[in-house]
Order: sequence, then C-alpha cells, then structure tokens
Amino acid sequence: MAEFYPSLAQCAIVAAAFKILLFPAYKSTDFEVHRNWLAITNSLPLWEWYYEQTSEWTLDYPPFFAYFEWVMSQVAKLADPHMLRVYNVEYDSWQTIYFQRFTVILTELLLVYALQMFEDSSHGASKRRARAAAISILLSPGLLIIDHIHFQYNGCMYGVLIASLVLARKKSTLLLSGLVFAALLCMKHIYLYLAPAYFVFLLRTYCLSPKSIFKIQFLNCVKLGAGIGAIFGIAFGPFAIKGQIPQILSRLFPFSRGLCHAYWAPNVWAIYSFIDRVLIVLAPRIGLSVKADSLQSVTRGLVGDTSFAVLPDIAPRVCFGLTLLFQTIPLLKLFFQPTWDNFLGAVTLCGYASFLFGWHVHEKAILLVIIPFSLIAVKDRRYLGAFRPLAVAGHVSLFPLLFTPAEFPIKTVYTIFWLVLFLIAFDHLAPASNRTRLFIFDRLSTLYITVSIPLILYCSLVHGIVFGKSYEFLPLMFTSSYSAVGVVGSWVGFLVVYFT
Amino acid sequence: MAGPSPSPHKPRRKAAAKRAGGNHDSSSSRPITADAHIMKPSFPLAAFLWPARGTTSQWELLPLILMAVGLFRWAAGLWGYSGFEKPPMFGDYEAQRHWMEITTQLPVSQWYFHDLPWWGLDYPPLTAYHSWLCGKIGSLIDPSWFALYTSRGSNDQTLKIFMRGTVVVSEYLIYIPAVVVFVRRFSRLSGVANWTASVALVAILMQPATILIDHVHFQYNTVMLGFVLASMSSMLAGRYLWSAVFFVAALGFKQMALYYAFSVFAYLLGNCLFPRVNVARFIGIATVTAISFAILILPLVLGTFSDVRRGIDARPDLDGPHPPLPLFPWIVNYMDTEAFYYPIVEQMVQMVHRVFPFARGLFEDKVANFWCALNLVVKLKQYPSELLQRAALVATLASIIPPNLILFFRPNKLLLPLAFATTAWGFFLFSYQVHEKSVLLPLMPMTVLLAGKHGLGKDMRAWVGFANLLGCWTMFPLLQRVELRVPYAVLTLLWAYLVGLPPTSLSAYFADGSSLWAQWGTALVHGAFYLAMGMWHVLEMFLKPPADKPDLWVVANVGVGAVGFSLCYLWCLGKLVVESDILPRSWVGKKGKSKTL
Repeated sequence: MAEFYPSLAQCAIVAAAFKILLFPAYKSTDFEVHRNWLAITNSLPLWEWYYEQTSEWTLDYPPFFAYFEWVMSQVAKLADPHMLRVYNVEYDSWQTIYFQRFTVILTELLLVYALQMFEDSSHGASKRRARAAAISILLSPGLLIIDHIHFQYNGCMYGVLIASLVLARKKSTLLLSGLVFAALLCMKHIYLYLAPAYFVFLLRTYCLSPKSIFKIQFLNCVKLGAGIGAIFGIAFGPFAIKGQIPQILSRLFPFSRGLCHAYWAPNVWAIYSFIDRVLIVLAPRIGLSVKADSLQSVTRGLVGDTSFAVLPDIAPRVCFGLTLLFQTIPLLKLFFQPTWDNFLGAVTLCGYASFLFGWHVHEKAILLVIIPFSLIAVKDRRYLGAFRPLAVAGHVSLFPLLFTPAEFPIKTVYTIFWLVLFLIAFDHLAPASNRTRLFIFDRLSTLYITVSIPLILYCSLVHGIVFGKSYEFLPLMFTSSYSAVGVVGSWVGFLVVYFT
Repeated sequence: MAGPSPSPHKPRRKAAAKRAGGNHDSSSSRPITADAHIMKPSFPLAAFLWPARGTTSQWELLPLILMAVGLFRWAAGLWGYSGFEKPPMFGDYEAQRHWMEITTQLPVSQWYFHDLPWWGLDYPPLTAYHSWLCGKIGSLIDPSWFALYTSRGSNDQTLKIFMRGTVVVSEYLIYIPAVVVFVRRFSRLSGVANWTASVALVAILMQPATILIDHVHFQYNTVMLGFVLASMSSMLAGRYLWSAVFFVAALGFKQMALYYAFSVFAYLLGNCLFPRVNVARFIGIATVTAISFAILILPLVLGTFSDVRRGIDARPDLDGPHPPLPLFPWIVNYMDTEAFYYPIVEQMVQMVHRVFPFARGLFEDKVANFWCALNLVVKLKQYPSELLQRAALVATLASIIPPNLILFFRPNKLLLPLAFATTAWGFFLFSYQVHEKSVLLPLMPMTVLLAGKHGLGKDMRAWVGFANLLGCWTMFPLLQRVELRVPYAVLTLLWAYLVGLPPTSLSAYFADGSSLWAQWGTALVHGAFYLAMGMWHVLEMFLKPPADKPDLWVVANVGVGAVGFSLCYLWCLGKLVVESDILPRSWVGKKGKSKTL
C-alpha cells in the first residue's frame, strides 16, 4: 500500500503553528459575541440564556452551541474569570484572546478527524485524491479568514458536517449520519439549508426499500425518527418545559432583517442590486421611473435594508420560493439515483440554491457550498472545471471581512498560495472524464480568474489612492458583483455536470 | 530571480542524484510510482515537498515556497517589537525609525552628529541611505511618522505595519534572491538533486533566528546577510569582482559583516595565488573593492560638500572652533582645519567612530560568548580594559587563523560555508562588544550547509539544527523582555519539527554509516544540551531566581550557550579540516572533532 505525503496530521501541525502566530491579528465583533455567550452560559441559569440582553450580541444559535459554550466556559474560568461576567462588555485581556483563539484551534481537531475519516473511507486510486481534497479543506483560506482571524467556530462545525457526510457513505452508518446531522442542526441552524438533501437521501436509502420506493422500512423509520426526536429533545427540551420555544425561534430567525446583508453576499441579489444601481444612471434615458425615496438609501451604498430604485422589490416569499425550486430540481435526481456521489452533489447544490437565492445571506455562508464541493471537486476534470471559479470567487468575496492593513497581506497571499497550490495539485490529480465537456467553460473560467488580479489591485490599492475615503461602496460592490458572477457561473457549470 | 545561473530548465541531473546523501533524496530523477512505496520522507519538511518530486517544475514550486515563508514572516510580525511601549528609550525599532527620521529631515552632514544619546546613527552609510529611502516612502503615506523630534517613540499601529513592510520588502529584494541563487549554485556544485535543494531552501528560509530577530524583534540583518550570501554565491560562480562588490555592500550596511571579512579576504587572495599566481585578478579585485568603497561613501561626501557650500554646519549645536576629532586627534596636526577637505575628514572620522565603538567595554549585555562565560568564573572587571582588549584580539585571531589558513591554501568553493561559519563562530566567541543577536552571523553560513553534500543527512541536520536551536534559545532573554514567548516557541518548535530535531523527534541521530562512537557521542552531547534547554525553560517559567541573584537564569543561559557554541565552532573547524583534505588520508577515518591543527 503506497503511502502519500504529507499526512493530514503533519499539515494540521504546521497550520496550527501559523494560526497561533495569528493570535494578535484583527478580530471582529464576533469575538465579543462569543465571549458574551461564554459569560451568559457560565453565569446565568439555563432559562435565562435566551432572554439575556445586556450586550447587543444576544445568544442566537441553537442550544447545542450554547451547551458547547458552557463546556468551554468551565475551562475559561481557569484562564481569566473576568471574561465570564456578562457586564464586562468588550472585555479582551490577553488571556481572553489566547483562550478564545486557542479553543478555535483545538475544536478544529474535529475537522481534522472528520477529514481523516473521509480519507479512510476512500479506496484505491481515489485515496490520493481524497487526501488532496482533505488537505485543501483543512488549509482552506475561508476557514482561516473566518475562524482564525475574524473569529468563529466554523472549523469544528464543518468537521461535524463532513463526519456526517462520510457516515452516509456506508449503509451501516446511515442512521448515525442522520443523527449527527440532526445534532449539527441543533448547533447552528444555518445547516438547515442542506437539510433537504439529507431528508431525500435518508428517506430513499434508509426509510424506503432499495428495491422499490413503495416499500417502507418501518423499523428504520422508527429508529431515525426516535433518534432525531431524542436529539432535538435534549437540545430544546429544557427550554420547551418553560415554554421558551417562541423566544428561541425569534432569536434564531430574525425575519426583520433585509434582503441583502450590510455587505452584499455574492449571490443573485448582489447582481440584482448591481443592475439596479446601473439602472439608476440609465433609467432617465430609457424612460424608466426611479423611486425617489429609495435613492436615499441606495447612494449610501452600505445598507442593511435594501430597497431598489428601479427594479421591483423582492419579498421574502420570492426568495424562499426560488430557493426551494432550485433545491428540488437536483433532489429529484438524488431520489431516483441515491448514490453517495449524487448525495454530495445534491448537498452542494442545496448549498448553492440557498446561498444564491436566500434572504439575508451572509457572505460567510459560501463555505456551505465550497466545503461539500471540495470533497467531490477532484472526482474528474468536469467537476474541477466547475469548482475553479467557485474557489476563486468564494474566497475573494471573503476579503472585505478583513479590512485592516495588517491582515491584507495575509488574506491575499494566503488565498493566492492556496489557489495556486490546490488548483495545480487538483489539475494533476483529477482524471479525465469519460463524458465530453459541453461548453467553453474552461476558457471562460480562465478569463474569469485572470480578472480577479486587477480587481483585487483596484479594490485594495488603486481605489484608495484615487478616491481616498469617498465612494467606499464601490470596491465592495465590484468585489461582490464579480464574485457573484463566479458563484453563479460555477453553479450553472455544476448543474450541467450533475445532470449529465 | 535575477541570478545569472545556468539554464534553470535543464533536465534533472541523473548522475547527481545518485551521489547525493540521505535516504530521501535519490529518487527525484526517477518516476515516482515505481518505488514510492519503498521510499519515505525522513522528516516532515521532506514530506511536505514530497508531492513535488520528479515532475513538478521549479517555477511552480519556488513561488509557493516564497509565499509560504512570507506568510510566516508577516504573521510573526503581528506580534510586538523590541521596545514596544517601553519608554524612555524604547528599542531597536525606535532606532531604525529614528534613523529614517534624521536621514529624511536633516542635511547629510548632520546624520552622524545629531543628538547622539537618542539612538545616534551608528551603522555604516548604506544603512543610512536605506533609512533615507524607507523614510521618504513612509513620509508619502504619513509625514508625521518621521517628523523631527515629535515622532520619537511613536507606537502608531500603521507605522508598525509600514516598518514591518520595509523589512519584508528589503528581505525579498536582497536576502531571498541571494539564498535562492546560492542554494541553486551550491547544491549543483555539491551534486545535490533539485528537489533536495528545494527542501534545503525551505529549511534555510524558515530558520527561526532570522525571523525572530528581523521580523519580530525588528532589525534589518537579512539585508547584510543577503549581501554576504550574494558575495558567496558570486564566489561559487567564479565572479570574484562581483563578490567584492557585494561584500563591500554588506560591510557598508552593517559593520558586523567584518566577522566574515577574513574569510572573504583569504578566499579571494587564495584564488589569486593558487593554483597559479594571477596578478591581473588580484589587481582587479583590489580596484573594484576600492571603487565600491568610494561609491559607498560618495553620497556622504557630496552631501557634506554641498552642506558646506550652503553654509550648513554639521554640528549646529556647537559654537566656536572645531572640536577635536574623536579617535584620531593627532590628524589635526597634519592638516589645516579650515581646508576645504577638512569637513570630509571630520565626517569620515566621525562615521568610523560611530560605527566602531572602541570605547565601550569587553561586553555589554549578557551574551553567550567566551568572555561572558569566563566572567562567571573570573571577574574580568578587575583587569585593565587594555589588557582585556588585547586578550580578546589574541584569542579572536587564534580562533580565526586556522580556518582562514585552510581556505587560503585550499580556496575550494565547497569549503566556503564551513570556513565562513568557523570564522564567524570565532569572532562571536572571542571578540569583544558582541551582541546576542550577532549569533545570526555564524548561523547563516552554517545553515546553508543544508544545501550541500549530505546536507539533509542525519549528521548535518543534527549539528546545524543544534546550532540554530541553541542560538534561538540564547536569544530568549532578549525576546521575552517584550513578551515574545509565543512567537519564539512557535517558530522554534515549528522549525525543529520540520527538520526533524529534538524536542519533536530523534530521527536526526544514530546515522547509518558513521562510527558507533561518533553516533553516541553526538547524541549524548546534544541530548544533554536539549535537556538543559528544556529544564531551563521550565525553571525560568515557574521559579523566580533568588533575590540576591536576579540574573541567575540569564547567567545560566549564557554559560550553557557559550559551551554549546564552542562545540559548534569545533565541529565546523573539524569538518573543515576533514573536507579540505589537508590531513593525511589515514587520519580522516576517525572523526575530526578535536582541534587538530
């Protein structure tokens, strides 16, 4: 059995060294968010967790994440008990920083473990590719920027997701896969976006007989239902007893927010907004009417609650409908051909659909697409072709998260390093497909990738020199529109690959 | 890379790969699949570059390497610098910033005279020009960073980023191209395969000591080291004139490059005499050296002239007649202080006076060299300083003459790093006014040995690694003063891990092929040192030194360090003796670890 190098553990060690060096780097308000949650879970009784509002960063993740914070807070006591006071808003002693940053690195071990599971579940020629894909996820610039600089715990949770995806590979662990995913949902509800794929896959492979879709495996249904019920019971039960579920739901799903996030995530609505902005200039000439009241907010550029000046406004219902529609299409194929590869494809496409059409999508959610896609990106050259623009667009779209000059070289050089390394490596590893490629996707994606260089230069350098502090929304708009084109392009490309 | 090296796209050298040492590097010329299951990387760094064996082009690999090492540098730079929020004097960071301030704000003739107690300029002119350039660029971004007087002790966060940027850019313009070219030439000469050379390149660039001092603590040592390496690689290529130019640049940037001067001199002179006398070469080298020095001081001279013409006094704070010259007061007896050239003489003398602080003591801080260690046993203060200076001179000469004689009589390219390392160790251990940061000088040529024959073999890794880790350890007291324990621990352990050294691995010991005696000797001696270093860290962390001996930990560090560095000196010297073939064959069988000259 040929061994491949480097191993995941070796990469994890070197990556951890780099991440420790990033301790003093910029940290966003999410750092304070998580400190506050440590304080809430540690110092308040369970029943008050979802009511506490001393800090504006109230607890808005599901209960398992709160329990997770509670466990960490038990250790935090030893590092610096002051961080556990709810009223100590914005507290960031060096012990607090070291402790919180370190928990991110430590909990990310779950990701390493899950990736090792993924590698072990592959056999033969694909093992080498699995190693490459696993390392690419471990070293993902997305996780580095979001978790280790910006500050969040995605590494740990994507570890759970990948573990659950890998468990779905074997018939014997299907039940476990579903339960792990249920637990993940109780940690962070953003994964609800992927739930339809799980539902269809488990329904078809676990609850229905493999021979006929009209034969139901009742025992399996009971096991799965009871298991999921138990997990949700553990998570929400204590709060349900006191009738706090409506309060929790209002925290988890704040529908009062706008269509686009403050900074537009690179999805369909970013393109829509961009067209709207362009039409403001063009509308008088082609005889369209401009809504005067929305101009005010439009010119501010950085708005939470977007209203459009020329194009019709978008209702949440429209978003929801479109998301569901584009999730259903790939799920139909999954239902009739429930292979593991199709499952991964369907999970990825569910991520795509909800990212592209969702309401108030955050740019960080792009990981929901990139990470499942990475697992199958090296399957053959067609998959890789669709993955390439996503890898560029998805990561470039994260750049505005870090805007401080000290982190600029890190985010850009690291991302370029990762892109060069893995696009070259994947290119060597991905086998040719037995199907012919349909369109000139490769040419377009090369062109697309090339455009990113002047774009980054403009946004980070030229704009500042030419305009100084004014028109600050321009680079953001360009970045997100550019990235949106890439994400949409890769989505279309992947849809073609998935269905042919 | 600008290096005029022979065609980089040459096919892999098959013959070379066979001769190269180590069990990991002989496969790069063969297809991977055939024997991949037999071979395995013997330390993690080789594992990381494992997929790049064979087919991967150097031009794909090199940018990745440069990006990766750059990321570690920049990330390390996020930490604090020397003297951060430590008034009244702050630290090296403030010194460098202050020089940017005075060179951009003051007339040239005042650079070496301005307010000397506040970090007066005490490096040679190239540093001053470099500061001027950085200061000019920085002033475009924010003039307040380098405003005269008011900017002192600035801890502006953007300024810090700019300063870190100047270090990285200077390093990528000088040191890194020099390392890349040197590694390429040296590995080819030594018959080492390309892939192995790339592994060595990463090991050299990740060397923790330079990152810690330049990118964390804050200095520009890599510029000087880069010029020295460029000089060495010109020697490898047989371009002796360029080698002289680069070495003058190194000296002109930091006088510390004098540590290598003897070896440069010995090698160049040796090349003019052996195998046959080559007068033209000698005259050429001498002329180019003189011209380079002239160009080096030219801006200073012209600036002084122009200042005199415009009536700007070099020392506006003084009234009345010319004050006596420092160092050489007798000069005034031979020349007219009103002559047109007198201000130039005054400038030059002042520069030399600033650059070579003869007036200071044998050693300033606690540093792991011979004198400081000796001071633990015999209190040296009781002796007159002239005697100590003379003793230092004699001891230094005694330690550097043997390696340089070898290099002079055997001007062999492959001996360069060893001879440079031995000479620099001699200076570090025995000369006076040594700073703990000076350990970078012997470490540099010793570390590039990794790119040579058997460079990644066990014995070489063990010793080069030992010197580097010990070097970092002796700089720990310096680093922990400004709370840099974390980057120290991370960078040092990371390098030890990558190269497969203690405390992460014992794989560098018990090499096949060498005698059992030598294996055990190396392992036990190194083991004892690593154990001492580890124990020391534990003690330093958890125990306060007794009240009457507040410096106990530092003193222990110095003592252990000095002994370890002496071993490194002896090892380099022994290796040099063996490699130079000056001993009869029959002697070489046993390990030339003792000083046999």
